[in-house]
This record gives sequence, structure tokens and C-alpha cells, in this order.
Amino acid sequence: MKVRLIHSLGSVMLASGLAFGHAAFAGPQDDTLRAAMSGEILNLDYLYTTRREYIILAQMTDATLFTMNPANQQIEPGVASSYEFVDDMTIDVQLRDDVRFHDGSVLSAADVAYTYNWIIDPSSESHAQALISRWLDRAEVLDEHTVRFHLAAINPLIIRDMAQRVMLRKDGSYHQGDQVDHDAMALNVNGVGPYRVVRFNPGVELVLERFDDYFGDAPEIGNIVVRNIPDMGTQQAELMSGGINWMFNVPLDVARSLDARPGIDHLAGPDLRVSFIVLDAGGVAQPDGPLTDLRVRQAMNHAVNKPEIAEFLMGGGASEPIYSACHPVQFGCTQDVPRYEYDPDRARELLAEAGYPDGFSLDLWAYRERPNAEAIMADLEAVGIDINLRYVQLETLNQARASQDIAAYIGTWGSSGVADTALIARVHFSDTSDRHLSGDDQVVEWVLAAEQTADQDLRFDYYQQAITRIAEQAYWVPLVSYSADYLVTSDLEFPLDDDGVPRLQNARWK
Amino acid sequence: MLNYILQRVGLAIAVAFTVSLAAFLLLNIATDPAYAIAGEEADPEVIEQIRIRYGLDRPLWVRYLDWLTGVLRGDFGVSYYWNKPVATLVAERVGTTLTLAFSALFVTIAIAIPLGAAAALNRNTWVDRLALWLAVSAQAVPNFWLGLILIILFAVMIPIFPVSGDHTWLHFVLPAFVLGASSVPPVMRLMRTGLIEVMGSDYIRTARAKGYRGQTLLLRHALRNALLPVVSVLAVQLGQKVGGSVITESIFAINGLGRLALQSILGADIPTVQILIFLFALVFVAMNLLADILNAALDPRIRIR
Repeated sequence: MKVRLIHSLGSVMLASGLAFGHAAFAGPQDDTLRAAMSGEILNLDYLYTTRREYIILAQMTDATLFTMNPANQQIEPGVASSYEFVDDMTIDVQLRDDVRFHDGSVLSAADVAYTYNWIIDPSSESHAQALISRWLDRAEVLDEHTVRFHLAAINPLIIRDMAQRVMLRKDGSYHQGDQVDHDAMALNVNGVGPYRVVRFNPGVELVLERFDDYFGDAPEIGNIVVRNIPDMGTQQAELMSGGINWMFNVPLDVARSLDARPGIDHLAGPDLRVSFIVLDAGGVAQPDGPLTDLRVRQAMNHAVNKPEIAEFLMGGGASEPIYSACHPVQFGCTQDVPRYEYDPDRARELLAEAGYPDGFSLDLWAYRERPNAEAIMADLEAVGIDINLRYVQLETLNQARASQDIAAYIGTWGSSGVADTALIARVHFSDTSDRHLSGDDQVVEWVLAAEQTADQDLRFDYYQQAITRIAEQAYWVPLVSYSADYLVTSDLEFPLDDDGVPRLQNARWK
Repeated sequence: MLNYILQRVGLAIAVAFTVSLAAFLLLNIATDPAYAIAGEEADPEVIEQIRIRYGLDRPLWVRYLDWLTGVLRGDFGVSYYWNKPVATLVAERVGTTLTLAFSALFVTIAIAIPLGAAAALNRNTWVDRLALWLAVSAQAVPNFWLGLILIILFAVMIPIFPVSGDHTWLHFVLPAFVLGASSVPPVMRLMRTGLIEVMGSDYIRTARAKGYRGQTLLLRHALRNALLPVVSVLAVQLGQKVGGSVITESIFAINGLGRLALQSILGADIPTVQILIFLFALVFVAMNLLADILNAALDPRIRIR
């Protein structure tokens, strides 16, 4: 009787396992890569979004005139086969003739001109408008496969912007007669990229399939499903149970513990994000505060043990201490700058010289990586600076900074995955930015000048001067670069790029 | 009775509006919605553009009055974050949340009532102690922890249920258990106390004297009366399930109102947060009202009064 009961129970459990065993096993069996993202996917149109998740998706659904090779930062042909500067203010771009939209229509010069003209049209309210309006006056159709760009200003980043910011749209995409619809591409984007949208449920799931008429190299994986799973623990469970193949932004401790499990691999690659402390050297928040003294700022640079933060708190894999106010792989990010090595005794001496032998009190604001913020706080307190850590939400920090209430904050910047110092310098060292606390007009001038020349050598010189001066004057305490940590199932080969942007379209089954 | 109901409905609306005003002010003090919508690395120009597009550059009181008059006209506004009418957002998700809430309530009833009755009928024995221990444990365990443990046990180690999502009824089993478990302690203890009190009452003694025993005595005479206070607590618990599924829905990636609330709060999506808070407050008060009406229906003494 007992044996029969156990037997029946076993059968029931097995049967339930078989019956309930949901068919959502991710992997090569159904040629479907299932990826998880915490941040909600609400809008598929990259002309109207900015977040990292959207960059990842746009690379699959869309294509740009040119592409940036992440390995060597060189511009390569994309939808365009070539470009030519007719004069300083005019560029002619030659298009390929075999590019098709997902709806089957062939891309022509009219589509490209429409896209660019729409972006700079004030009524478009595109998130790319501010960037493209800096240099574009208008785009004109020369013939079916040639577009002429009339420039409003010389800008060294034109081709880079074409390669990274402007996803191409079909002529009239945002217009229904006289009616303008900003959200026309939000839910079902008609792009020219390697994957087309099959189904999209905002905030829940996006289903993509390989687009057979894609003009470039066809991706190896047939289907990609991106699920929004807000909780990292749930993502782990999905990965362990075979529900997903790929998750990113994984905390290091989680990545390491799951790496030990069979069938799951931890991948760590570089990320363009860097962290730093911005100091109120210009006396914006505290006109005669201690941070206006160079020796105090240098002392703070000597006080923070960034190699240990990189090794023990960030993980050591791809994270490195940084000494310049930019990411070392970015164009113009010179490493030939004064280095303030970890030296608490020297920090104390400098503080004493500056008239603060007993230190001073400082509100230090931070919004992410609390352990790092606490380690920095401990380092600064060890040399006598009494730190009041204001750990807040990003929006709160932004508001306080806009009100000029912040004397020091730990900032981070990812440069939208673009390996050029322009992306970090412009927003942190310009007159119009509330992030700029140095008050140094000379640095602002160099940063601006670098943006107004197309001569790459000259640009490099300007950035070198600016970055060197920022280090000499210790306007920042540069901290560490980030590591991009992923967990993937072992059957997936996922190549990592130097710019830290995950490219799911390059994944393949082993 | 009608007067009483009208009074309570009026009170509910007043509470909901007060809560929405508080939420509006707190959200605006805590964050700048334009920054939240634009994302971390947006250009200052984009942030300014968004501020103008959504009318966030207007004074706070103008925006609140604008919202309030809209609601009174039946226009719940458009979500900043989702770029959709809030009414549509809520309508899309309310079914999922109600499914989860009722499933959770079912779990609560299925566990708490038998457990409470068993504890009462075996007072001060090991059964009673075990029931009490279970109740205290269920109360002490946080939702997110129980959720993850159940996922590891029943979705990863023994893969019976899916880890997350809301496509099939199977997806609701684990979250319903997690959400339902938190209500087991109060319901079970109330059931136990109620039944003990009823079992000691005169009419049960009379019923015993008339020869009723066992199930008939328990089901026909004792349980019905002991259930009275339980019913009102269950109604209140249902209200809590609707508004309290934020953590559970996020852990199990269920696309309901709770997850919407969390997403909206993190995204500083003020129009959505306000409507949700308004709605949760209304549901909570409505459930309290329902509890009173149910009590009246079940207890003739209340009806007569």
C-alpha cells in the first residue's frame, strides 16, 4: 500500500513537472535568445529616448548612416557607402541602394533627408534635436541615393553623431496629412536594422525576429525576446531555471556567485562609465569655502584610495583607477597629467598648509554605489575632513545642484557609450551646465574650441590642455572606471566591446 | 443604512483627494519629473524641452488644480512616463491585479480558516501551538524573501511553476501564496478567538444538549457565528491586496497595478501615481464599507439595529 502510494505520488510529481514545465526554455532549441532588463522598455523609437536600454534595442531594430567600430573607434560605412566634404559647410553622403525598411520598401535619399530635417524641426521635440541642431541647417535630396547636408556650424562630431544618434526613418513616418504624431514609431518601429519587431508589450516584453532583407551581415540568432523583469533576484532565478539567457548590469557579488554554477558564465568587460568627485573650486555653493583652495582639493585627491575601490568594491576585473577627468579610451583623454597617488600623510600636510590642520566639515552628495561613497567618506575622514554623506536619489541631487547647493558630489558619467572626451567635457565644463563648478573660464574656452574645429589634431590639443589643467587644479577627484558585468547561459557566445555597449545582435550559439 | 453608506462614500472621496494632494506635493518636492523622464545623461536642452512639453514649468498649484478639474471631468490625464492616458494604463492592468488579489484571498481563506478552527478546537494542545507558530512565522517573513525562496524551491529546484510573468494561471500560484500568506496570521487568530468564544456560548451548550455533535454542531451553529468578525477582516484584507501587491508584483514581474505604482513612483510619473493612490484609497474605504454591509447581512442583530 505504502509503496503504491509513493509510486503514485512520484508519478503525479513527474507528470506535474512535465505538464507544468513551461516551454519557455531559452536557447538554441528554438533559436531564441531571451534577455532580461530591469529598466522598463516603453518606447522603441531612439529618436525619442536616451537610456542605455534603448541604445541596446536601437542597435537591433535600426541602422545609421555610418557605424563606429568599437574595437578601433574608426567610422565605417553603414547605410551610407561614403561621404565627401564639398566645402567646410557642405557634406554629400552617398547611400547604398539595397537598404530596405522592415515594411519592405527601399530606403532612398528622401527618407534620410526627411529624418534629419524632422529631427531639427522644433515641432519634432526629438531627444536628438539639441545634438543635431548644433551643426545641421538642413538636409537636401540630390538624387535617389545622394543626400547633401548643409551645415549650420563646423563640428568635429558630425559623422560620429550620424553614426550613433540618428536612426533612419521612412519619409513621412511622423506625419499623417497635417497631423504630427511623435509616437508614430514608439510601439512598432519601422527601421532598417537586423531585427524587426514582431510584438511589443511596453514594460513587459519585446519580441524581435531576424530581418532577412537586412543589408549588412545577417545576425546568427533568429529571435530575440527582451523581457522586463524589475527584480534582479528574479532575473537570477530565471537564468538558473533556463527562462533567460542573458542579463546585464549584474552586481559583482551576484555575478561571482552565479558564475560558480554549471551552465552559467560571468562575463566582465570595460564600460565607458567613470566616477569622480566634482569639487566646488569656483565657490558656486560656498563662495569662500575650503574647496576654493587648491591645496585642499589636492589633499582630497591624495586622500582617496581609488586603487582599492577599483579592486575590492568595483571588482577589479575591468575597473581601473583613473587620473584624468574622462575615460582613458576616449579620444582626447590624455593620461599625461599630474597624478595624485594615495598618500594620506601628504593629504594631511596639504590641509595643514591650507589652514585646516583640524580639517573641516563637508556635505558630500552621492546617488549610486553606496559602498564606494562610504569608502570615500572613510578615506576623507581619515585625513581629518568631517564628511556628512548625503546619499539621495539622482533627481534630488540634480535639483540640489541646479539650486547651487552642492559643494561636492560623487558623479558618474557613461558618455552614452561614445569614446570621445567631448561627451563628458561638454556637459561638465561649459558655462551653461550646473555641473560645472570649477569657475575656470580657460577650461571652458578650450572645451568649446575643441567642439568648433574639425581638425582632429587641434581637437586633441585642446582636450589635452583642458584635461591637464583640470588635473593640475584638482577640480575633480577622478575615481574609477566601471566594469560591465553580464551573466549568460554557457551555450551563448556574447562578444564584449571596448565601449561597454552590449550588442545582442552579435551574439551566437556555441 | 443609506445615510450611513452615503456618509462613508463621502468620507472615502475626501480621504482619497487629501491623499492625492499629499502625494502630489511630496513627489514634486522629492524629485523633478523632467529629470526622471529625460534619463540620467540627457542634455539640459532636452530636460527643458520636456519641462515645457508637459507643462512642468507652471506653478505647483496651477498644475494641481489642472489635474483636479480634469479628474472631476473624468479626464485622468496622460502619463509622463508611459505617454498614454492614465485611464488606459489602469484599465489594462486592473484585471491582473484583481486576479492576483482574489487568488491571494483564496489562499488566505484556505489556510487561515481551517488552521484557526483546528487551533480553537484543540485549544492549548500541540495543534494550537503549531498554528500559533505558523501564524507568527508568516507574519515575521517579509514578502520579498518568501517570494524569492518559493521561486528557488518551486521554479528553480523543482520546476513546477514559472519564475515570473503573468501569461497563465500557473504564473499566479506562487505570487498568490506570497500575497495570501501575509494575511493568514490576523485571519487565523481572529477565527481561533471567535470560535473559542462561540464554543463557550449558551446556544452551543443548548445545541449540545439537543444532541448535536461534531461537524453539524461546528458547521451549522458555531462556524457561521465565528465567521462574522472574520468576514469584515477579509474584506479589509482584500483592499490591502489590491493596493499592497507592489512588492509581490515586482518580484514576479506581474504587470499589474502594484508594479505600475512602483514604476510610476520611480519615474516621478505624477499623474499615474495620483490616480493610483486615489484608487487604492477608494478601494480600501469601499472594502471597509463592504465589510460593514456583509456583517449586517450575516448578523440579524445588526440588521435589526
